[in-house]
Amino acid sequence: MSEAAADLMGLFRDEARQRLDQMDTELLAIESGDADAESVGSLFRHAHTIKGGAGMLGFDDIRALAHAAEDVLAQVRETGVFPPDLAAPLLRATAALRAMVSGSPEPIGGLLSDLAASRAAFAGEGDPGENEPERASPPETASPQQTGSPPGPPVPSAPAAQSRAPGPQSPARDSTAGADRVLRVPAEKLDDLLDVTAEIMEYRSRLTHALGQERLLSQDVSDTLGAGGRLLGELRDMAFSMRLLPISAITGPLPRAVRDLARAAGKEVEFVISGADTELDRVILESLSEPLTHLLRNAIVHGIETPADRERASKPARGRVELRAVPRGSMVEIVISDDGRGVSTEAIEAAGREESLAGLLTKPGYSTAREVTDLAGRGVGLDAVKAYVNALGGNLSIWSQPGHGMDVVLLLPLGLALTQVLLFERGGEVYGVPLTAVEEVVMVAKTFTLQGQHALEVRGRSLPVTDVAAILGMAAPPLADASPAIVVSAGGRRAIATCDALLGAGEVVVKPLGPVLADLADYIGAAVLGDGRIALLVATATLTRRVPPATGATEPEPAPDMATAPKILVVEDSFSVRELQRSILETAGYPIVTARDGRDALATLDRDSQIALVVTDIEMPELDGIELTRAIRASAARSSLPVVIVTSHGSDDDRRRGIDAGADAYMTKDSFDQQTLLATVERLVGR
Amino acid sequence: MSSYVRVKVAAEAYAMPVEHVLEAAGLGRVRAVPGARRELLGIRTLRGQILPVVDLARLLGVHRTSAPTRLLVAEARGFRVGFAIDEVNGIGDLGDLAELGETGELGMPAEGIESGLLAGATLSDGELVGVLNVPRVFDSLDGTRR
Repeated sequence: MSEAAADLMGLFRDEARQRLDQMDTELLAIESGDADAESVGSLFRHAHTIKGGAGMLGFDDIRALAHAAEDVLAQVRETGVFPPDLAAPLLRATAALRAMVSGSPEPIGGLLSDLAASRAAFAGEGDPGENEPERASPPETASPQQTGSPPGPPVPSAPAAQSRAPGPQSPARDSTAGADRVLRVPAEKLDDLLDVTAEIMEYRSRLTHALGQERLLSQDVSDTLGAGGRLLGELRDMAFSMRLLPISAITGPLPRAVRDLARAAGKEVEFVISGADTELDRVILESLSEPLTHLLRNAIVHGIETPADRERASKPARGRVELRAVPRGSMVEIVISDDGRGVSTEAIEAAGREESLAGLLTKPGYSTAREVTDLAGRGVGLDAVKAYVNALGGNLSIWSQPGHGMDVVLLLPLGLALTQVLLFERGGEVYGVPLTAVEEVVMVAKTFTLQGQHALEVRGRSLPVTDVAAILGMAAPPLADASPAIVVSAGGRRAIATCDALLGAGEVVVKPLGPVLADLADYIGAAVLGDGRIALLVATATLTRRVPPATGATEPEPAPDMATAPKILVVEDSFSVRELQRSILETAGYPIVTARDGRDALATLDRDSQIALVVTDIEMPELDGIELTRAIRASAARSSLPVVIVTSHGSDDDRRRGIDAGADAYMTKDSFDQQTLLATVERLVGR
Repeated sequence: MSSYVRVKVAAEAYAMPVEHVLEAAGLGRVRAVPGARRELLGIRTLRGQILPVVDLARLLGVHRTSAPTRLLVAEARGFRVGFAIDEVNGIGDLGDLAELGETGELGMPAEGIESGLLAGATLSDGELVGVLNVPRVFDSLDGTRR
């Protein structure tokens, strides 16, 4: 398999998994009766898109199963009725699809016949006019034309339904939409990149240090070193940020897991995830799934009561479990919260009044003891979670009110921070500053004073000079006449900080200072040095904050020359198909703009008069490809704009619909090949 | 039934419920943190982690004439704090606590009572002992609550 094909496979897998996660979310909502009117339409589109991608890449089983699911959903969409017992076979289908997408073959024969049976069972009763009350029971899933009117053609949901605000548990409509261009890179390569970057920075810092002491710095050398150093700093920041991923990267399977756990335990549970876009280091994120699942299991099995018990306690029969992520500076707070029975009053008493519950419930060997499990109902395995959190340099705390539920709070560091720092001494203590912010080190012998502010000329520019002791507010003996100083650059500001001695650069593990010092923004953490001393790591913004912001905005980049090749608009809601078409057309030399549905495409056309051709899918949310084609033909300014339809609808009927709408060419994804696409495009734009 | 660890802070006696106490140790090497609140003596390492060290005398407003030498490590509200003190006087039971309202008349340090850092006070072995309200003490130290 070529590298490009492997990349596409990867893109397809990532996208299919996301869509399957969203399908699960929608199916679970339907099953529990609180789906919104959009659910069926979006389920259909997800199945349809997976089918299309699988067809293009030759995954026949995936294509067949997605197709079967799509057929069932098409029928649901037409009749406007979603029998709740249809969710179960569809959930089995999404589970099998997920396994196949991940590369493990699944027998699909049984599932195909299940789905066909569901479809047949409900084809005979499809007329909405004959609905019995119980089959019409989830009215939320019904389309607006349900009552009275005959079933119409499959149309994306009515505008009235779209205006309904999504609930907090609704996933983003299309979570792939925000990412415009994405490359897949093995995570190890990013780690290597960060390591190598850190190493280069260390050499650079040694070099600067040595050159500075030898006083060999000519203007040219120091300018070059300075520029290179700043770029290195940017490189390191970029490498670090590439390791950050949103929590949503691991929460996808959780709604399903919660549903399965709740069913097995005979509980009714509403599961809500908030703050899913909060970012965490990939390494931490990867290790977080297991503790989270464990805490969710505890909340469902031990926390949430049975519906009968809840009603006796005057609570809604359905319990609520929430997973909440909140950024807290250099930490991230993750809370698993439930409204179940909480700990018993005996547990609270056993711990002493207002004792830290985390302390009681995580005592090794104590938490698993029967009496505590009975008292608290929640101790099982919490000590392991606490050990995990502590090992990352975080904190675990637990809050509970008997009868009213429990909050388990994990405070985790944003990243497993190995950081390059320049260490220095002032007042007998060691401090560090991130090397990314250090431009160079100089000796300060003579400073000028302007309006009471000491300044020093560095490379022809006058920079303010401040004693580190004054910046941090520490008591320290005065500096020697000639002191080493660090030229710091952060957030567009530069400043010079003087100290007693420089100790050199090194890589340190940044340890969080914890809750007691959380309100002190001057430090990003501490590091324990080889000799046991603790270095406080000073935030770069602190070292530069007395400096007024630099003036003189950079000139905007000149606009690139307008490409001479005709510009093509690719309209496609599937991220992987869109990227495939983009790469084919871009490689052939066409400038590309993309849109993810018909409405988006019309807006893009309004903005960009250079677009010379449109390549569009048919099945899309908001406005489909047929409607888009009609809209283009109906517009005076663009009525002659060439339109190519590329879709997985392969029947003659579909083709006729496309051509009738005014498309210039029609290609199916199953027979898709890039030479045909390029030849068609070339023919239409005459290149 | 509760047991308390009794400590000496300058010339005064205090007690902390034993379930909050993890260990007692020498004060060790404490590194100052410029800019932190004045009751924070600094930070030190304890088993690889950074431990904040709080001067209990300053927190309670007790006048001190010599530097503390001992450390009492306690945990509540999900985090640990080392309290710099002068002596650990053992573990034992205390008599009934006096009502908070009466402690002022008993001559307890007003600052601790006003801020709720004390759960009460009691006379034990002829000594007036202030009992720390540990969750309140930890809340007052929690920088995320400010």
